[in-house]
Amino acid sequence: MSTTFSVETPQVRTKKKDRFVVSTMKRLLKNKLAVVGLIIIAIQVIMALTAPWITSYDPATQQLTKSELPVMSEGHILGTDNYGRDVWTRIVYGAQISLVVAITAVTLGLLGGVVLGMLAGYYKKWDAVIMRFVDLLFAFPGILLAMLIIAILGTSLINVAIAISIWSIPTCARIVRGSVLSIKEKEYIMAMKSMGASDLRIMVKHILPNALAPIIVFATMRMATAILSTAALSYLGLGAQPPTPEWGAMIAQGQDYMWTSPHLTVIPGIAIMLTVFAFNVVGDGLRDALDPNMDLN
Amino acid sequence: MKKVWVLFVALIAAVVLAACGGESSSAPSQTNEGGTTEAGGGEIEEFVYASTSDVAGLSPILTNDSVSANVQEHVYETLFERDTDTGELIPSLAESYENPDELTWIFKIREDVVFHDGTPLNAESVKYTFDKLRDPATAAPRASLLEPVDEITVEDEFTVKITTKYPYGPFLASLAHSNAAIVSPTADQAQDLMSNPVGSGPFKFVSYTPGDQVVLEAFEDYRDGAPDIKKLVFKVVPEISTAISMLQTGEVDFIDNLPSEQIARIESIQNVDIEKKDGTSVFYLAFNQSRPENQDENFRKAVAAAVDRDTFVGKLNGLGLRSDSVLGPMVFGYNESKNAAGQAYDPELAKQLVEENGYGDRTISLLTANRDNFILMAEIAQAQLTEAGFNVKIETMEWATFLDTARAGQFDITFLSWANLTQDGSEMFYPNLHTDNIGSSNRAQYSNAEFDELVDASRTSVDQEERLNYLDQANGLLLEQNDVVVMYHGVVTGAMNSEYTNLILEPNGKWTLKDVTRK
Repeated sequence: MSTTFSVETPQVRTKKKDRFVVSTMKRLLKNKLAVVGLIIIAIQVIMALTAPWITSYDPATQQLTKSELPVMSEGHILGTDNYGRDVWTRIVYGAQISLVVAITAVTLGLLGGVVLGMLAGYYKKWDAVIMRFVDLLFAFPGILLAMLIIAILGTSLINVAIAISIWSIPTCARIVRGSVLSIKEKEYIMAMKSMGASDLRIMVKHILPNALAPIIVFATMRMATAILSTAALSYLGLGAQPPTPEWGAMIAQGQDYMWTSPHLTVIPGIAIMLTVFAFNVVGDGLRDALDPNMDLN
Repeated sequence: MKKVWVLFVALIAAVVLAACGGESSSAPSQTNEGGTTEAGGGEIEEFVYASTSDVAGLSPILTNDSVSANVQEHVYETLFERDTDTGELIPSLAESYENPDELTWIFKIREDVVFHDGTPLNAESVKYTFDKLRDPATAAPRASLLEPVDEITVEDEFTVKITTKYPYGPFLASLAHSNAAIVSPTADQAQDLMSNPVGSGPFKFVSYTPGDQVVLEAFEDYRDGAPDIKKLVFKVVPEISTAISMLQTGEVDFIDNLPSEQIARIESIQNVDIEKKDGTSVFYLAFNQSRPENQDENFRKAVAAAVDRDTFVGKLNGLGLRSDSVLGPMVFGYNESKNAAGQAYDPELAKQLVEENGYGDRTISLLTANRDNFILMAEIAQAQLTEAGFNVKIETMEWATFLDTARAGQFDITFLSWANLTQDGSEMFYPNLHTDNIGSSNRAQYSNAEFDELVDASRTSVDQEERLNYLDQANGLLLEQNDVVVMYHGVVTGAMNSEYTNLILEPNGKWTLKDVTRK
């Protein structure tokens, strides 16, 4: 697969790319677990996009007289929380928050990781410096690093996204560097070099597309981690500030009522579990689908 | 495909079952541990109290927190104490007192008291303790209790004379404070009372394992007779839910400060009795008065009108008392007429004021501590203020950071609380709202010359009728201008294993286990 991209004319490349995408999708769709994951993700995305239309309440509006209603109450399909806020509405708006924070965090992390990994892999003299810095980031356990960053920046969802993105950088940088190291020795790169292509052109147009597969898998898996970490940090009170309907914050708030109204913790818990599960199985499926060796089976 | 769905359904079922499991397992279990089941005989071999945090230390002179005070209350005694029902000050270690003039107090000390180390308690021990408490070199956190004291002299073995710099009204209340407890001078000179306390109380110190537990035993020579509890354990259980489960299984016999959201669960436990009593603590919304926007009387009026305190108190499951008065019913200085003296809930008026004055244009930072009851107040107030048109952003902080941030005045509005151990109104107003204390305990940065004058008068008068009047006026002043919006007055609570009885619960949140007996 790798040689197909580089020396063809643009039109042919696009066609080949399309064919590659289609065949990858086909392989992915054969993986039943991944399909389930995709469906869950699709539902979450739809929920997030159509939030105002599929709910009839505001996520922050309280009805103190209607608090802690159980699941399937009249007008409140998933019941209400201790402030009388509709749980279904909060779950739906929570999906929005989880997705936005996770996508932001993963995008920022990828940006940093790809740039660092690319530079480290391509320029030998930068390798040691960048990778030692990356090792330094690795030395902290992930969630601890995130908490440290939030302690410095202050508690807010934006800072959670920044913290998670910084935490994603080292892993991403290592993956990219590894791919770059192997790709840059390929003949077509040598050919580009001998034709006088600039380093930037080689990196962006020729190495990056070929290193994309592991990055895509990493990004998908990272989405799961990001959603889980956002929830964890909010649960600890370091992320979303009340009354933001963040899933982790909802669990933290509901746990005092666990004995009387278990749905306040169970429902957001299920939401987090399903989403994380979905991104993980899709990531797994993508890894298998993007592996060129799969054709041999 | 089928497999996938089976896996999926199984997963969900597992989660749901695990969650519901929590509910069904809360059926009361009757197992008892810790040797508390021995039938017959009045003696209680071991009695365990669970606290969510550890003591700071065991010397009354060097600490000032309620967790430490709970242990100290059992090891030490004070000259005076509050009658648990009427709140009246009654002699404890003191036998009687007289005031030859406004500045002089002569105390007769009981003659039958000995410390746990055998040293007799006399006028000399009182002088020693008080001199140490007020000595600047000691840097005692509650040295302020004796701030008005000028001189302490020993008249004879059991008579001590104290003169004050100015007439000091709440003096007896100060002497009833657990930080004014009398320590054994011989022990204090020989050892560190912080880890090895010696007092004259009903229980004797045995051991202290930091972060884990403090163990006391009955003091057999106690003047009122030794308590039934032979071994008393103060155990640290950081999570209140865990403590409740331990109470259910009998591992723990007593917990206090029951959270309102768990009260239904505790009530459902069969082998546990809940005790409640109206308390002295007050929880209120305060404005940062150092900011000009908050000095606008209409702004405060709009905020007060927007917050529905009645519904809020209803949310507390009986663990809160509704009254506008800043001094609650159990505090000296309270007057019934102030119950509804604040701005009443009036959402229309609030909306109108917000619209007329454009209060919605600026973002108000609502600072709150990340404790359950504070977050409850903040979230409800935020929603109601938003309803009225304000633009409010909540900022939550961990307790210690919150106290520092509030002290520095970095907020617009916040929620504050005051336990009021001495149960005296001067002790609420002076530290929290007097100009003298801006930058320390006056977190509202409130400064009002008229108010200061009234509070000073309440502190320097020894005529209790007159003091009552000054405090009431000061209270009225705060309410009239909505400087303080009272959310609720606390209810003190305790939950004890129903095998036992005679828990003494005081309105200021203190409790005593010396009289606890088997039913």
